Amino acid sequence: MNASTLGVRRFRLSNPRYGLLLNIPGLLIVLLWVVFPALLLLAASFLRYDNVNPVSFTGFGNYQRLWNSRVFGISVERILVFSLGSTALTALGGLLLAMCLSNVRKGGGLLRSLMIIPWAVPAVVSGLIWKWMFSPDFGVVSDLLMKARLIAKPLSIYSDPSLAMWGVIIVDSWTRIPFMGIILLAALLSIPEQIHEAARVDGADTLKRFFYVTLPMIQGPLLIGLMITTIFSFRTIDLIIPLTAGGPGRATYVIGYYIWDQITKSLNFGLGAAAGVVLFLITSLITMIFVYLLREK
Amino acid sequence: MRDRILESKTLSYSVAIFVLSLMMMPIYWTVVTAFKPDTETYVFPPVYFPSNPTFEPFRLLFEFYPFMDYVANSLIVTVSTTLIVTVISMMAAYGISLYPFRGGRVMLLTLLATRIIPPLSLLLPFYLVVSYLGLVDTLLSMIIANIYLTYPFAVLIMKAFFDNFPREIIESAIVDGCSRTGALFRIVLPVGAPGIASAGIITFLWTWNEFVYAFVFTSTPKAQPVTVGCFDAIGDVFVHWNQMCAGALVAALPGIIFVFVAQKYLIAGLTSGAVKA
Repeated sequence: MNASTLGVRRFRLSNPRYGLLLNIPGLLIVLLWVVFPALLLLAASFLRYDNVNPVSFTGFGNYQRLWNSRVFGISVERILVFSLGSTALTALGGLLLAMCLSNVRKGGGLLRSLMIIPWAVPAVVSGLIWKWMFSPDFGVVSDLLMKARLIAKPLSIYSDPSLAMWGVIIVDSWTRIPFMGIILLAALLSIPEQIHEAARVDGADTLKRFFYVTLPMIQGPLLIGLMITTIFSFRTIDLIIPLTAGGPGRATYVIGYYIWDQITKSLNFGLGAAAGVVLFLITSLITMIFVYLLREK
Repeated sequence: MRDRILESKTLSYSVAIFVLSLMMMPIYWTVVTAFKPDTETYVFPPVYFPSNPTFEPFRLLFEFYPFMDYVANSLIVTVSTTLIVTVISMMAAYGISLYPFRGGRVMLLTLLATRIIPPLSLLLPFYLVVSYLGLVDTLLSMIIANIYLTYPFAVLIMKAFFDNFPREIIESAIVDGCSRTGALFRIVLPVGAPGIASAGIITFLWTWNEFVYAFVFTSTPKAQPVTVGCFDAIGDVFVHWNQMCAGALVAALPGIIFVFVAQKYLIAGLTSGAVKA
């Protein structure tokens, strides 16, 4: 009697209709806030939609224009350089910090808090702060580098194209190292001590253990961190807007800035939409590559 | 010998402190500049330890710019978004995780896929909708945008927490005569509070820190949030850098506070939302 009542109650707990009911508001959000705008984006990308001509259907016209556009080509090339640089620097910085923090006890909480701070600062504010630090007239970066005798006179990321790319890469990694560090730190702390112990008993030294024990054990989280950092770096725009505004010339004119320009300055919505679709396709491709790599884990 | 050095706590502390000091330089520089008079701001080589710290930049910031309005706008948008998103995503995650239903899996995959769509791509359609609805330059337009920007991640964070939730507790509560919704309020909420807090805090910070959508949707201090205020008004043609740094500090304050008082929840949320989902 009791048991059968229990059984019925159990059945009630796994009530699918209740689960669905709870998800109705969420479903509405997904449909109205994601699916609908996504379809609208797709539709707009097939329209000739600017502030001069009447709106009309143009098929793949916008995509064709992107394909032939020298500026769009530059923006794709710039984003590849930017993303590669930023992701590499983020991975190195995040791994280094995570390794150190996984080895400390006292004060670890404070050090962790310090590590996360750049993540919590609004990206546009990071851009503004760093713009002030990079100032060629009063900049603290130039002064510190001069004091360290690495450069002879103040440098300006606002006139030297290759320095400009370095500048935005450094600022972008500054904002992304915290996330990478957090993920890798959690992964490092979850490796059982016995595994290190066993490797030590087998005579593996520190470097060997790093390459043959630690790295393989954190491979999954590392790949996830790389994937997220890469796809997020593709949409970086908040900090480039105040920092270099795509310049000097088109040195930091990444694909996101191209879209930004179409929407806010050129007001060519059709072209902006098509570029938005292309950005989505590139991001999906990168995600699929990472998912494929992760599948074997 | 080499191994002893590599594995020593001293090396770990030294490297961590060195790298973190570099990373803290921008924060230090913002704080210092925000309290400098003009005479110590516009000099080279720069002044590292101001001799006459002053509140003047803050006073000017609030006197010459509608900075109070920016802060109020940010607060309204952020609190509203956080409440809406936390409640709806909690319901969704509770349902997906504990009451599996057909299509739940698809729902989850859709949410994951949503995270792949660059928000920048959807900026245009959102702008078209917002202007069609006549919501340009309103707080509501930003609440709408931030729901899109934060909802999927909030669900993923909470789902990861609910997945680890001991089902037996709910089962025994229901056996004891508690309704499923009662179980949500009496058991899942208290026990799952860390997950809900993580999702709520991250939603709060993302909304407070959002710039791109807010910049396109708003044009006057009636609706502009702090991030747009910092960039648009203060970061304008001639920049008063010490006032800009004062504004930057105000804009970065919620984030910095949460990092220190809620570090545990931030870390838990970011790792679970990213890795486990």
